[in-house]
Amino acid sequence: MSRFFATGSDSESEESSSADEITPKKRIVCCPLRFRFEEFTNIIKTIRNAMKIRDMSKCLEEFEQLYRAFLKSKTIMDKEGVPQFYIRLLADLEDYLNQLWEDKEGKKKMNKNNAKALSTLRQKIRKYNKDFETEIASYKEVLNCSPNVIFTLGTLSLCQDEESESEDDEESEDWGSDSVDSGGESEDNEGAAASLAVVFLKKYKDDRRKRHKKMEQVDEEADEEGEGEEGGWEKVKGGVPLVKEKPKMFAKGTEINNAVVIKKLNEILQARGKKGTDRSAQIELLHALAGISNENNLGEGILVKIKFNIIASLYDYNTNLAAFMKAEMWKKCLECIDELLDILFENSNIFIGENIAEDSENLAISDQPFRVRGCILTLVERMDEEFTKIMQNTDPHSQEYVDNLKDEGRVCGIIDRLLQYLESKGSTEEVCRVYLRRIMHTYYKFDYKAHRRSLGLQGETKSEQDQEESEGEDSAIIMDRLCKFIYAKDRTDRIRTCAILCHIYHHALHSRWYQARDLMLMSHLQDNIQHADPPVQILYNRTMVQLGICAFRQGMIKDAHNALLDIQSSGRAKELLGQGLLMRNMQERNAEQEKIEKRRQVPFHMHINLELLECVYLVSAMLLEIPYMAAHEFDARRRMISKQFHHQLRVGERQPLLGPPESMREHVVAASKAMKMGDWKTCHSFIINEKMNSKVWDLFPETQRVREMLVRKIQEESLRTYLFTYSSVYDSLSMETLSEMFELELPTVHSIISKMIINEELMASLDQPTQTVVMHRTEPTSLQNMTLQLAEKLGGLVENNERVFDLKQGVYGGYFNRDQKGGYQQRQNYQRGGYRNQNQSSY
Amino acid sequence: MGSLKDSAVSGSNPLDSPVKQIQIDGLVVLKIIKHYQEEGQGSEVVQGVLLGLVVEDRLEITNCFPFPQHTEDDVDFDEVQYQMEMMRSLRHVNIDHLHVGWYQSTYYGSFVSRALLDSQFSYQHAIEESVVLIYDPIKTAQGSLCLKAYRLTPKLMEICKEKDFSPETLKKACVGYEHMLEEVPIVIKNSHLINVLLLDLQEKSMVADKHELLNLSSSNHLEKSLQLLMDRVDGMSQEIVKYNSYCRNLSKQQQQKQQYLQRRQQENTQRQSRGEPPLPEEDINKMFKPPQAPPRMDTLLIAGQVNNYCQNIKAFTSQNLGKLFMAEALQGHSS
Repeated sequence: MSRFFATGSDSESEESSSADEITPKKRIVCCPLRFRFEEFTNIIKTIRNAMKIRDMSKCLEEFEQLYRAFLKSKTIMDKEGVPQFYIRLLADLEDYLNQLWEDKEGKKKMNKNNAKALSTLRQKIRKYNKDFETEIASYKEVLNCSPNVIFTLGTLSLCQDEESESEDDEESEDWGSDSVDSGGESEDNEGAAASLAVVFLKKYKDDRRKRHKKMEQVDEEADEEGEGEEGGWEKVKGGVPLVKEKPKMFAKGTEINNAVVIKKLNEILQARGKKGTDRSAQIELLHALAGISNENNLGEGILVKIKFNIIASLYDYNTNLAAFMKAEMWKKCLECIDELLDILFENSNIFIGENIAEDSENLAISDQPFRVRGCILTLVERMDEEFTKIMQNTDPHSQEYVDNLKDEGRVCGIIDRLLQYLESKGSTEEVCRVYLRRIMHTYYKFDYKAHRRSLGLQGETKSEQDQEESEGEDSAIIMDRLCKFIYAKDRTDRIRTCAILCHIYHHALHSRWYQARDLMLMSHLQDNIQHADPPVQILYNRTMVQLGICAFRQGMIKDAHNALLDIQSSGRAKELLGQGLLMRNMQERNAEQEKIEKRRQVPFHMHINLELLECVYLVSAMLLEIPYMAAHEFDARRRMISKQFHHQLRVGERQPLLGPPESMREHVVAASKAMKMGDWKTCHSFIINEKMNSKVWDLFPETQRVREMLVRKIQEESLRTYLFTYSSVYDSLSMETLSEMFELELPTVHSIISKMIINEELMASLDQPTQTVVMHRTEPTSLQNMTLQLAEKLGGLVENNERVFDLKQGVYGGYFNRDQKGGYQQRQNYQRGGYRNQNQSSY
Repeated sequence: MGSLKDSAVSGSNPLDSPVKQIQIDGLVVLKIIKHYQEEGQGSEVVQGVLLGLVVEDRLEITNCFPFPQHTEDDVDFDEVQYQMEMMRSLRHVNIDHLHVGWYQSTYYGSFVSRALLDSQFSYQHAIEESVVLIYDPIKTAQGSLCLKAYRLTPKLMEICKEKDFSPETLKKACVGYEHMLEEVPIVIKNSHLINVLLLDLQEKSMVADKHELLNLSSSNHLEKSLQLLMDRVDGMSQEIVKYNSYCRNLSKQQQQKQQYLQRRQQENTQRQSRGEPPLPEEDINKMFKPPQAPPRMDTLLIAGQVNNYCQNIKAFTSQNLGKLFMAEALQGHSS
């Protein structure tokens, strides 16, 4: 195809050089591809035949076909102008139709179909011809003066292919002068492209021969582009090794102005998304174009436009959405965005926006500010997403991951710059979006600098201190500012939700428990988070976990347990936090779902340590559950606080041979056993030791403080457990002994015991003068407990039995029985009440 | 321990059973006790074979041997083979070799179970006069030998033969938990020589040797019993719930069936009035499959077991009360 094309254009240029002055229409006639050309001529021939025999329906049919064919080759037509023969046909057809229309008698003779076709065709062609008014007018003019010329030209165009072949070599000498001429003329020549083509032709003169042989192997891209372009351009891309020749895209001497570059840009972009387009070559082309426009000082407007397109085509490089960009490609993209931002910062008179239409763009240097279509925010967001994808797809334990992670700083830098830019220029929504990006890059990072400062430790050396100061504000302040802006301005719920969650996470990470908790409660996210999309839910889960860990660090064991309960009890913590997929069989999840789930994973550097999480949960469960178990040893309706913890205990019990604990879980189980006996020292040694330190506790930023808190808690809870378990053995207990046993101060022991007495957990009273706890021995013995339980069970049995009886007896009996049941329960209540009263009276 | 007295004879009167009394050799009792002490511990159960013969309506048990303890290793151990071998060997030394039943130790009186029922049924099915001896080591340790002989009642034998434990059959057969097992009175008989020895030993034995009888602590035993009782009561509750839901399903289905039939009838009369043929009869039982009735045997067994526990506890507490009063009186006397 392209061969014909090329030759066609050759002949055209030849003509334009030799017979330039004869008629300006020549160029139009000879350009279209042969097959299109043939298609047209065939259709036209049939139309003319139909006209001769007055077959209007046939005529209409063919005309419609012609119209479609014309639309198909519209792109060519746009550049080439409408071919002359086409115009001719249109003009003739219209005349002919008008003639028929006038001819009333002839019309009457026509059959119904034909008459109908005639009227539709007439309307159509009238409407259609409006688009070609000027051409038709000029044609008619020419027709009037010299109809012959056109016909000769028409035939000429057909046979020119062969001619040009033979002429090429002979005329090669002439090209030089011609090109100079045309170069000079180009200013007044309305079609600069035409003259450019001339210049190019000269260059390719020599390898024309070779090219003809090679043409078959030339890649598809050339073909595709060839279709969309003028002959001269086509050759540039098709025939030459692409990259090296690019800088010469515009031949020397050609004046490179905005229009030319934009045209070129559009040409390149047209190939975008088409099958078989070499995407990397396209990127190169765009780069070259950017270079050219830069060299020629075409202004930042056009440069920005090109940059936008470069980045877009970089993203296009991977057609598959699931696949991730290559790190190198991504880095290129990063650089591009950086440069783009540079330009935008330097030139405050550039307006960019997605809403600027293509035709209202203002790229030329003028007094008016540049207007460029494009959204830098979207590009940056996409870049960020690609970064996440790259991180997701890199092995987290490799050096590569570390290398990639180093780029995170650059991403943050770009986001920061964009933030500055948009703060001055962007709309509120855009600012919200970019703020969220910034937040997303901040919330999970622990601010060591602020942490150290809060501890009152200044940097050791002066220089370090300077550096600290120069690094700017604390992340907490940044988070606060950004989030509050979003809370106030954001109108999409999602951004606000994410911002709140990140804010809470950040608070929790920095041990600001109360702020974090209050924010969580105020946001009411817990009520409706199940309606959010999975990524937000993952973020929510991460936040809850972080909140729990924060509560634990602060010594709020109960809160910690509650926060972690949901995540841990499911046994799918890994999945819920987006830190890995659980092994499941394929029935539950097909490959497609797996891909989606994989895309949701949180990159490794943002992971929450699962062992730490589990340990925190188990330890807080232990601190809650063991005293509770001791207190309710005989309670038939005892409920478990933590199923997970009980499960671990059971697993520990099932072990046939109990060795020294190895894993974190075994440590906690062993500690729990020690605590059950009130042996806090053993418990302590199991929870806090070398192994556990390295596995868990050292991961906290304030290790020492957490450990101290933990020891304290263990002592207190062990004391409580001890009292619950062994109170029945004692008549009285000296508090001093207790404080020695558990290494707690006397007031603490006093307060713990008082609290237990107030909560009616311990039936005892304090004897102030002797500092002893006097037991009341009102707790039922185990035998009594057992009988109570039995009585309860028998009650249940009777009730069940009565139900069977009910069925047999019908409603009446049921009524009777229910009455009795009430009586039974009342009696029981009465007994219990009496029991309780007895307890209280004995204080 | 070596009491000569019969164990308590309960009010059951075996009417048509071939065995009305059991006479046990002292040797058998000692062998059973020894077997438990050597092999049984805690809640583990030991079992063995009783040998003897029937004289008129009296079953004389003259010897016994234990079943070997099963271990996981020898799966291919043939129990029947072992028993035959054992009996043959015993015959060679001129000992009664007729199989007349089996014995089993028990833990706090928990022996009324499906396993016991099944094996006793197969024994009684094969050898009509066979009995099961239940030995309670815990009570024995407290100072009174506890050895009881049981047989399945003929009614229960009938039901077991039918293998039909549906509520209806049980109701028809009028089998309650109290009619499942019958206790056969036991007499322990020793030779005169041994009697003499025992009398001699009685003279020599100190009061201190019998102090187990006077043990006042009760809570441990009671707690254990209560625990077991509670477990069974739970089981009972579950069974009742099952039965309850069965009943409800049944009645619901009955209703549906009724409704369906009514509708059918109405339709048919309508059709008749219109002169159309009536709808074909369909198999109603196929459409409404009656729900599976829960087997009632388990409930019976549980009830029997609960009854057993209750008897045990009652006996124990009454004994203990007596002891306590005695102790109080003694204390009051001494102070």
